[in-house]
Amino acid sequence: MSEDLLELEEEEFTSQLTAPVLKRIGGLLKPHWKWVLGFLLTIAITSALDAYFTYLNKQFIDQGIVLKDSARVMHLATIYGGFILIQSAAVFTFIYLAGVLGERIQYDLRKMLFNHLQDLSLSYYAQNAVGRLIARVTSDTGRVSDLLTWGIVDSTWAVMNITSSTIFMLIINWRLALIVLTIIPVMIFIAIEFRKKILAEFRVSRRANSRITGAYNENFQGTRVVKALGREDENTREFQGLTTRMYHASYRAAWLSALFLPTVQIIAALALGFIVGYGGLQIEIGLMTIGGIQAFVAYLTFMMWPIQDLARVYSEMQHSIASAERIFKLVDTPSEIHDRPDAIEAKTLLGEIEFDHVDFFYEDRKSVLTDFTLKVNPGEMIALVGPTGGGKSTIVNLLCRFYEPQNGVIRINGHDYMDYKLESIHNKIGIVLQTPHLFSGTVRENIRYGNLSANDEQVEEAAKIAGAHDFIAAGLEKGYEQNVGESGNLLSVGQKQLISLARAVLARPELFIMDEATSSVDTLTEALIQRGMDALMKGRTSFVIAHRLSTIRRANRILVIEDGKIAEQGSHAELLKLRGHYYRLYTQQFRHQLEVAYGVTEEVEVKEEEFESMAAD
Amino acid sequence: MTTLQTAHEPALTFDFRPTLQANRLKGLWQMMSDYRLSYIAAAIALAISALSKTFTYILLRFFADDVLARKKYIGDSLTSSLVWIGLGFIGLAAFEGIFSFLSGRLAAYTAEGITRRLRDFLFDHIQRLSFSYHATTPTGDLIERVTSDVDALRRFFSEQAIGVGRIILLFVINFVAILNLNVKLALVSIVVIPLILLVSLWFFKKVTKAYEDYQAQEALLSTTLQENLTGVRVVKAFARQDYEKSKFEKDNWGKYLKGKILLFMHSMFWPLSDIVLGFQMLFGFVHGANMAIRGEISLGTYIAYIGLVVWLIWPIRNLGRIIVQTSTGMVSYARLMEVVKQQREPLLDGRHQPEGPARGDLLFEDVSFMYSDGKSDVLKNVSFHAKPGQAIALLGSTGSGKTSLVNLLPRFHEYTGGKVLLDGVELKEYSRSYLRKQIGIVEQEPFLFSRSIRENIIYGVGRDIAQEEVERAAKAAVVHDVILSFPDGYNTLVGEKGVTLSGGQKQRVAIARTLLKNPRILILDDSTSSVDTETEAEIREALNGLMKDRTTFIIAHRIQSVMVADLILVLDKGEVVQMGTHAELLKDKDGMYRRIYDIQTRIDAELEMEIARVN
Repeated sequence: MSEDLLELEEEEFTSQLTAPVLKRIGGLLKPHWKWVLGFLLTIAITSALDAYFTYLNKQFIDQGIVLKDSARVMHLATIYGGFILIQSAAVFTFIYLAGVLGERIQYDLRKMLFNHLQDLSLSYYAQNAVGRLIARVTSDTGRVSDLLTWGIVDSTWAVMNITSSTIFMLIINWRLALIVLTIIPVMIFIAIEFRKKILAEFRVSRRANSRITGAYNENFQGTRVVKALGREDENTREFQGLTTRMYHASYRAAWLSALFLPTVQIIAALALGFIVGYGGLQIEIGLMTIGGIQAFVAYLTFMMWPIQDLARVYSEMQHSIASAERIFKLVDTPSEIHDRPDAIEAKTLLGEIEFDHVDFFYEDRKSVLTDFTLKVNPGEMIALVGPTGGGKSTIVNLLCRFYEPQNGVIRINGHDYMDYKLESIHNKIGIVLQTPHLFSGTVRENIRYGNLSANDEQVEEAAKIAGAHDFIAAGLEKGYEQNVGESGNLLSVGQKQLISLARAVLARPELFIMDEATSSVDTLTEALIQRGMDALMKGRTSFVIAHRLSTIRRANRILVIEDGKIAEQGSHAELLKLRGHYYRLYTQQFRHQLEVAYGVTEEVEVKEEEFESMAAD
Repeated sequence: MTTLQTAHEPALTFDFRPTLQANRLKGLWQMMSDYRLSYIAAAIALAISALSKTFTYILLRFFADDVLARKKYIGDSLTSSLVWIGLGFIGLAAFEGIFSFLSGRLAAYTAEGITRRLRDFLFDHIQRLSFSYHATTPTGDLIERVTSDVDALRRFFSEQAIGVGRIILLFVINFVAILNLNVKLALVSIVVIPLILLVSLWFFKKVTKAYEDYQAQEALLSTTLQENLTGVRVVKAFARQDYEKSKFEKDNWGKYLKGKILLFMHSMFWPLSDIVLGFQMLFGFVHGANMAIRGEISLGTYIAYIGLVVWLIWPIRNLGRIIVQTSTGMVSYARLMEVVKQQREPLLDGRHQPEGPARGDLLFEDVSFMYSDGKSDVLKNVSFHAKPGQAIALLGSTGSGKTSLVNLLPRFHEYTGGKVLLDGVELKEYSRSYLRKQIGIVEQEPFLFSRSIRENIIYGVGRDIAQEEVERAAKAAVVHDVILSFPDGYNTLVGEKGVTLSGGQKQRVAIARTLLKNPRILILDDSTSSVDTETEAEIREALNGLMKDRTTFIIAHRIQSVMVADLILVLDKGEVVQMGTHAELLKDKDGMYRRIYDIQTRIDAELEMEIARVN
């Protein structure tokens, strides 16, 4: 819900029209200028012809009927018919050109944003909620392309329509036309003010609407609490407060909309009444024709459509420009982590890794690591333990160069790792996250993510090494071709872990990083995961944020990380002897895990099954 | 459930259950009760507005024929006639405007009013549906219905029904007007109308399908985007940026292509219908002009005709669009009715309505329970006696029936065999509302609402509570100091926009709430997970305070939490396999209790051994 609200707030942000922004927005059209020219021309033709048809109707009356000239009527009809065909061709062209161009601009913008997002560093993601980034790529691009295509189409049509109508009116009778000309700005002004008010009310109601959705959501999820506390009546009363607010806002928006057109029309009617009266007098003295009066009536009656369009485009334009600014801001954000100009290829990561007096803090400036120093030998397995927020994940993030230290140096093979090309580091790292992240697609595709050029045999080989093969081949209906669902949701947590292990195996990394899951999986899966990890770590340097005793015990070295420092380090036996931090952590963890192992094994398995059957629904 | 019994329940909202009809249109008509008059008034206002417009052209005809041609003046001069006619135009426009506004306002009043009532009803209704309904219905599905489907109905009333009415009214009124001008001319003007209506119906059905395709592709694109952004670490760690770019490119380009198809359809339909309707108009113009030349109709009639015919012809092609759209309203009606028809849990039904609180004496006699699908017994012949103030521990693994057993007490589920007696009266005789007031539930990680901590503590207590009392409860629940450490103290918001509480903190907030509620019977979920020792001691302290003088059911799977209970029930596959006190149960060497006990002792022994080994 809150993401919804965030987006609303962003939407309400409007922007002033400044030359550089407009220029940059216009620049998006530059590569497609032929298309723009095409739809501008055809919409202008369409619009001018609309006004011309009304003029032709006048000719029907004045030159045909009044003069009783049937041949003239047929002649005019031929012209009329010809222009209908021309106009239809123009309509086809502008709908197609503007529409397809709109899709094209959206495509271009999405591509530009997505590609840039791939290059941004993790710190950018930490500061920007995924929901916002998605809004950038989806709704903001839509709004900008709407402005650049339909916004231009509608306003061109409107301006052209008003202009050509005015020209025809001037031709018919310039005195009366001048009267019409004076009220057009008034109508446009009122229309714009109306649209702004309506838009504001709509925003209020959308805001109320997202609160209502939030209340529904919470009440459904908390239904057990609601029932147990018997709070139904009070909840309904509270909810009625929300729907009342929603009712008032949307009712107001709706009736303001209903008031809008009549108001503009009545102003037009004032002019119309005058024109009929005054025009009637002029007919008497031969300055005006009856067909001319008819034409004025028609022009004025249909004048409200272009005015309505202009008001709409204008009132929405500011929001579209704000969207464009947000897009540009994202695209202009430089990646904090990038290759140095003289970056070299890292040949191997299997060497000594050293944190040399490293300081690090995130954007909130609260320091996470201070003066952190650590030396790791090639092939060593390091277990990181300690309380949440102590800095374990930060060490791993720095190691992967997702972030870079503010002070101090991290060396791999004696080289400052910032001298290496990023890609040459990343393609030698294998990583398994605490909450394993899979992509929509098949099991096979997900494993192959570790090495895109791997063939089917290699994929299955990796799955075997990781201990995932058995459950894939036997447990999944379609085996390797089984769809894992959105973000892998059709699989259990344990299964996702095994697949992400297999993925890491296939990548044949030199440095392996694992953030162990805290949630328990059943014993069998647990054993499989352990075996997979063993296979993976052989001959590689590895860092594990460890929660499981078996993992911790097998580590060459255990680091207890607290408040950004190494509180204790050593082997399992050494640390237990100390009877310090590690001892406390270990005994607590020990007790808990054995209890799970002995007493509650069944429970965990049941949970797993429940999860699967739920997901299968 | 009879109507007499439901009549007890306060009518908080308009009842939509009578709108459940096999015939959807009939059901929608039922939904409109109280609003029918205003909706009909909206339609009448619409008709008046359309009539005013039509009369504008009739006035134009009078102006051309009577005033200009025949010199029949209103008053005595041309000038005064012209003034009157001018005022007539303004008056008619004002009339048209006012009634068009009234119609819009009345339609909005109806649509928004019905929607508000529907939202209120659905909220109230859904929270009163049975526990098993909620357990089996995904929240996302319900949300979809109460938001999108309700909005589709709102649009049905505010735009579609009135839109169809508007087009039909415009057609009928202007057609009748042209008929009055000249029958032949009228018939000539509508030749293509049936054709264009059929074609537009066909087209909009097609385009709706193409649009769904387009949206499906957009959903695909969003998924790819979402997965990429949430999995940014994986993407970076495997250096798969280029692969991701090409994957996104595929979906992105796919959307472009789907959009192109959609636009091609539009760019064909509109100009083609322009040609057909344009030539229909032209045909009428030429025909009318020739009639006027031959003197069959007057010039004024012709002028009125060319004004009126526009309102006859052009709206028709939009009729197809609106009719196709109404079908979504119908589908939404049916989807909502699936929720409306669900049976509510009667909260107040019950023959036995004691004045004061219960004593808390619970007797289970051969109680069995199975879910309505009837597959297997969840509980089998459970019998035991809990005296007021006693602590009853339920030990067993998940699936053994512990939770199902306690769910019977507040009548979340109804037992299917045997008897449960509370203070000597069968549970089914009590109203659910009464029982739930007597029972407090503290879950291991309770659901908190996104409101302030204070509001969460007094949530559902159902009486005015002074801040002091709230603080006293929070102190007793050992959570007061934690709350004070937050920036806004008791007014700190819980959840996304405020603080995130740990499982133990949430549990203690629930304990504070339960203390305020002061129930006679308590259900405690004590399957404590890995909380650190300090927290565990705090929770234990809070729980001990809470359990005092209440009949308590403790759900547990650790010996430590059940040792002190007055009665321990060991459950396995829905059956009580052992029952007694800790000391009694330990005596049975082959019993399950003893086995669990041994395992846990062994754990301690193993730990000591391991430490001894390294030393």
